[in-house]
Amino acid sequence: MTLLLEYREKIKRFYRMNSVVILPVLKFLVAFFALNGVNTLLGYMPRLDNIAIVLIASLACSFLPAGFLTLLCAVFSIAHLYAMSLEAMGVGLCVYLVLFLMLFRFAPKDSYVVILTPLLFSLKIPYVVPIVVGLIGNPVSAVSVACGVIVYYLLTMMVGCAPTIRTMNDFSEKLRYLIENLMENKSAIVVAASFAVTVVVVYVIRRMSVEYAWTIAMVAGAMVNLLILLVGNLIYDIDLSMIGAVLGSILAIVIAKVIEFFRFCVDYSRTEKVQFEDDEYYYYVKAVPKMNVAASTKTVKKINTNTQSGVSVGSAAAARSYAESRNTEKPGTVARTRTEAGYGREHVTPGTQRTQAGSQGTAARTAGRTGNSAAPRTGANMSSGGGSYGTTARSAAGRTVNPSGNRSTVQQRTRTNYSAQGAARNSQRAGDSEDDEEFF
Amino acid sequence: MMTKLASYEEKEGKKNENIGNFFRGDYVAIQVVKSLICATLTFVLIFAMYIFYDLDAFMTEIYKIDLFSYIKNILIFYIVTVVFYCALTYVFSTWRYFRVRKSLKLFSQNLKKLNAMYRERKN
Repeated sequence: MTLLLEYREKIKRFYRMNSVVILPVLKFLVAFFALNGVNTLLGYMPRLDNIAIVLIASLACSFLPAGFLTLLCAVFSIAHLYAMSLEAMGVGLCVYLVLFLMLFRFAPKDSYVVILTPLLFSLKIPYVVPIVVGLIGNPVSAVSVACGVIVYYLLTMMVGCAPTIRTMNDFSEKLRYLIENLMENKSAIVVAASFAVTVVVVYVIRRMSVEYAWTIAMVAGAMVNLLILLVGNLIYDIDLSMIGAVLGSILAIVIAKVIEFFRFCVDYSRTEKVQFEDDEYYYYVKAVPKMNVAASTKTVKKINTNTQSGVSVGSAAAARSYAESRNTEKPGTVARTRTEAGYGREHVTPGTQRTQAGSQGTAARTAGRTGNSAAPRTGANMSSGGGSYGTTARSAAGRTVNPSGNRSTVQQRTRTNYSAQGAARNSQRAGDSEDDEEFF
Repeated sequence: MMTKLASYEEKEGKKNENIGNFFRGDYVAIQVVKSLICATLTFVLIFAMYIFYDLDAFMTEIYKIDLFSYIKNILIFYIVTVVFYCALTYVFSTWRYFRVRKSLKLFSQNLKKLNAMYRERKN
């Protein structure tokens, strides 16, 4: 569980840091799949059924508000219906207008729900929608879900009617045929009603102050959804696979659990009930702690090697040339430090308590010695690794200045550096949170 | 806190402020009028579809039917639809208005807290 929580934190942090890129990419993907889905389902207008147009439109959607994608999908579908027949376009336009005027104006923010509902229908996982929307949305989102269901059934109805419509010539005959099919489509009404009720049920239960409210909500929502579909199937004899509905609901619960992990991960075993009062009220508070793990962070620390006492310019130059020959980083570059509480003592090598005034390595080492395993993440802890490196630097500084000697000294320093990195990597593999400093 | 407040102001704050600037009665009245227009347009659309559904029969029957009672029935149906939809809008708009006011009140309280924190730090 701790590992999962740590991954969750990493994902969250990654999203926070890169949301400027991730959001447009996600919007682009949703737009691409939605428009491609419309083209695949209808595809009566060859000019629109073109990948280049879809890509351009998706690119535009990635930088524009969500409502634009809804509009674009509506325009695409209406254009395809126009290519199919003028009457089909008229009926489609009327249905869209009715949905927009009567229902969608209550929930204009839920554009993506209207788009994703038909998309998930085409992927055969529509039962995810009401449960997930009930968990992360509000009861008004039920309207958007119902709109999405009606749009999907309208488009599939049009596809089903297309062969017959093409054989007809009379305007009123075509219109009558389409409207009859629209009115007789009981599946759309049953599924839209069941999804809308499910959204409200899931929302109401997940807001309750009971333990495992989210899990209860998703299970109850799935059961209510199945029940309404079953009753609707019995009354209207709609063509609905109940086995598919059951399997889809199970899958929906699994997906909802994943979302719960990211949105509502709490530890009910540590629930606290507190009472307090102020001048006007008594408060009875139930506090459920969130499950959180502090993710390891990386900080950049600059180590100025020029202040090392006793190191001549010649030895520094030799160190630089040697480092270059070994493909190591140059002296004076940044050292990467992975910081976490509880590692401070482990990196301090024995015998590093010697002090040398004016040496930065010494300061770092001394600071490192002060850190203990229970200490919080501080500058002292961060520099503990620096203590061990400082030792090598100091040993280099104390040597006689000659080319060969310098070379050997630098070699020793580099080796120490590698061993320290290796130790850090090992500890990282073992799941510890320790430093990983790179000198040079 | 400052980040959260800034995020709120950027996303919902502007829209909520627009709603919060109205008195409750004014906001709800505007929404009900909008709903009235929408419901009328929708009714016209559905009625047009109904007429076109069986246009031939309608054209032959129009001279035989009692036009007054026919229009009366349509008007009753229209009024029932509009009243139901407007009532729904009234409830929803009132709920939304109170939610927005509550949200703005919380935002204002948090701004005051933030201001107090700054003053403390300054002193």
